[in-house]
Amino acid sequence: MDWAAASSGYDEVFEIGGRPRAHYASLISILDSFTAEDVERRERLQKLALMNQGITFTVYGEQEGLERIFPFDFVPRIIPAAEWKTIQDGLVQRITTLNLFLQDVYHDQRCLKDGIIPPELVLSRKEFKRELLGLTPPRKIFTHVVGTDLIRSETGDYLVLEDNCRCPSGVSYVLENRTLLNRVFPEFFASYPVRPIKEYPRLLLDTLLFVAPRPSQSPVVVVLSPGIHNSAYFEHSFLAREMGVPLVEGRDLLVEGNHVFMRRTHGKRQIDVIYRRIDDDFLDPLTFKRGSLLGVPGLINVYREGNVALANAPGAGVADDKAVYAFMPELIKYYLSEDPLLAQVPTYVGFRQDDFRYMTEHLDELVVKTTGDAGGYGMLMGPVSTASERERYLATMKQDPGNYIAQRLVHFSSHPTHIEGRFEPRRIDLRPFILYGDRIRVLPGGLTRVALRGGSFVVNSSQGGGSKDTWVLAPREA
Amino acid sequence: MILSRVADALYWMGRYLERSENITRLLMVTEEMASEVVGLDENLARAEWHDLQTIFPSPDGQADSSHDLATLAHDSLAALSVDPRHPYSVLFSLKKARDNARTVREALTIEVFVNLNETYRELEAYHGHRVADQPAFRDALAATHRGILSTVGAIEQTLARDPGWLFLELGGSLERVYRTAVVLRTKLPALSTPQQEVDLPLYYSRWRSLLRGLSSLENYRRVHGARLESADALQFLIFDPHAPRSLRFGTAAVKDLLEQISGASELSLPARVIGKLASELAYQGEDVLLDGRCLPFLDHVLGELARTHETLSATYFGT
Repeated sequence: MDWAAASSGYDEVFEIGGRPRAHYASLISILDSFTAEDVERRERLQKLALMNQGITFTVYGEQEGLERIFPFDFVPRIIPAAEWKTIQDGLVQRITTLNLFLQDVYHDQRCLKDGIIPPELVLSRKEFKRELLGLTPPRKIFTHVVGTDLIRSETGDYLVLEDNCRCPSGVSYVLENRTLLNRVFPEFFASYPVRPIKEYPRLLLDTLLFVAPRPSQSPVVVVLSPGIHNSAYFEHSFLAREMGVPLVEGRDLLVEGNHVFMRRTHGKRQIDVIYRRIDDDFLDPLTFKRGSLLGVPGLINVYREGNVALANAPGAGVADDKAVYAFMPELIKYYLSEDPLLAQVPTYVGFRQDDFRYMTEHLDELVVKTTGDAGGYGMLMGPVSTASERERYLATMKQDPGNYIAQRLVHFSSHPTHIEGRFEPRRIDLRPFILYGDRIRVLPGGLTRVALRGGSFVVNSSQGGGSKDTWVLAPREA
Repeated sequence: MILSRVADALYWMGRYLERSENITRLLMVTEEMASEVVGLDENLARAEWHDLQTIFPSPDGQADSSHDLATLAHDSLAALSVDPRHPYSVLFSLKKARDNARTVREALTIEVFVNLNETYRELEAYHGHRVADQPAFRDALAATHRGILSTVGAIEQTLARDPGWLFLELGGSLERVYRTAVVLRTKLPALSTPQQEVDLPLYYSRWRSLLRGLSSLENYRRVHGARLESADALQFLIFDPHAPRSLRFGTAAVKDLLEQISGASELSLPARVIGKLASELAYQGEDVLLDGRCLPFLDHVLGELARTHETLSATYFGT
């Protein structure tokens, strides 16, 4: 079969000169033993399996209820044990810091007083919830589930691109991709010690049970979803099914006497832990956005009384704000007295006047993002934009400079991807999932997203991205 | 004990799945019957299609009866099979069953969802093609019918008999018995008129077709043999205690499910409503089959089934 190496950025599979890296050699020889017809036939099977199992997501802004399959590329991404160790240690350090930061900004605000991060910057974030000041969530855990996005620099170093501390999604695809690859290309697994990931739902349930306010009374856990029209609905349903807990919507819940209950066919039942996949603003119309029909009136009061645990904790979003991100290296040093184990992308913060001026003068070299958005919405790819796009974007930027950050375009790594009968390099990122319960656990794997358009840097599923199975290898026994 | 919303969705999934099976079957039987008799008696073929439109009414009203028969057959087939806007098309019902299943996937098994989803997707792929020749269309309907039956099989084989299952079955059972009553109510007036002038073979083939449309022809033969007497057939479809589509059997099935849902203590209102109807059907004298009494009795059955639906919705779903 036909392979092409990356023309810019780090190539995950091929060294300079075209030799495969050691941990990819077996995979390539297996793939080379297939004919194009074999591959095509198996790809057809795989697409059919996805459609029939309804593993789909919803695209916003198109015809209502439009379901798409999340394209899957069968060439797996392989991460050797030693590389994974660095990633894992770096993530544990980072999640520890994010939690300490949240506990701090909602209580003593030491980091603001000590000048580690400008107070106005933190306090002006939309995701900073004044209503929750002084509140400590059960077991002091704010970020029960985090998905941190990593990319690899031109030299192959892993860089943190952003943390997702609210409702990171994608873990269902991590699990389904493994099942799918094993079904379609079982041969791949024979020569690799791939670490299993299927225990994630159990670990997630343990994480949630750990924060239950009534630990002795077989606590009731539910997954709270905005409903079938949400783009991640498949995942909400998947996780509820895999954990064996009810999937609820706001209208299924009610607050009475400072407890939360679900409405059932024969009376109501008290709930202890809510794994909520609804944004803060929609959780409780009495506290946050009035008129929200997705949430539960009175929920935050019950939470305040300590009668229900919410994962992730409301207000946690301020920690993954893209402007706060710029200060993470300092925050890690401040709270842990350690150097960051994972580097990150240098960031211009629109909140600082000097940075903002630089951003406006170098728009064509920078990737500019709004601080609160996710999913690739509201961003400008300077180097591939037109002058009129930049002009329009600049006009919006000037209305609210603090809402923007910018980074140099990193030519992040590429991985061979099966495109119309050839293996072509396509850019990839990595979203590992981290659970914070009795201790911090990193799922050995993650969502590798791939930009399916040649030359593209955008990996989001809503913008033409796909995904790959992600293998973390077990250390070879000595 | 399950969430009211989940119970509601499973109930409707059951109803729509059953409905999609009923429409598919009646469509296949009607199509076959109409094409068989068209040369003998065009009006009869036309009446078959009109009956089907009465059983599964379109929001746009009856098709224009001035159309020639081929057009009427073609339009009815297309509308009731793959028209996504017709509330009684197979495609619409399967979509509703699947939409409900999607909202409660956590309460189902992968086998149930995959079978239902595949069946829907295959029929959906057929929509947009012109209704091709009759054999091709029969094939498509037969494939859909098999898909629906495998979904029902997956439910039987893989779902735990928990409260969710009870509501799913309840929806299916209520839809089934309701549909039998509607079909009888629609077909009976024409079938029970005195038939001196009518060609007897045609008369029998209408009864045969009615029994087949309620998948009861073979069951009937096992009880009464090949002789087809209208009184026997009607008695069978209403009172037979074993045939799954008789009114008596269907009502008893709904009653059992509602009693299980209601629990050991005092019976819920819907359980009492259906219990009363079930005992009427169990103890009713066959004199209701006599001319003039049967149609009012069917109206009464339809009314009580509708009341069962309304009271159970209010009791368990809060709607």
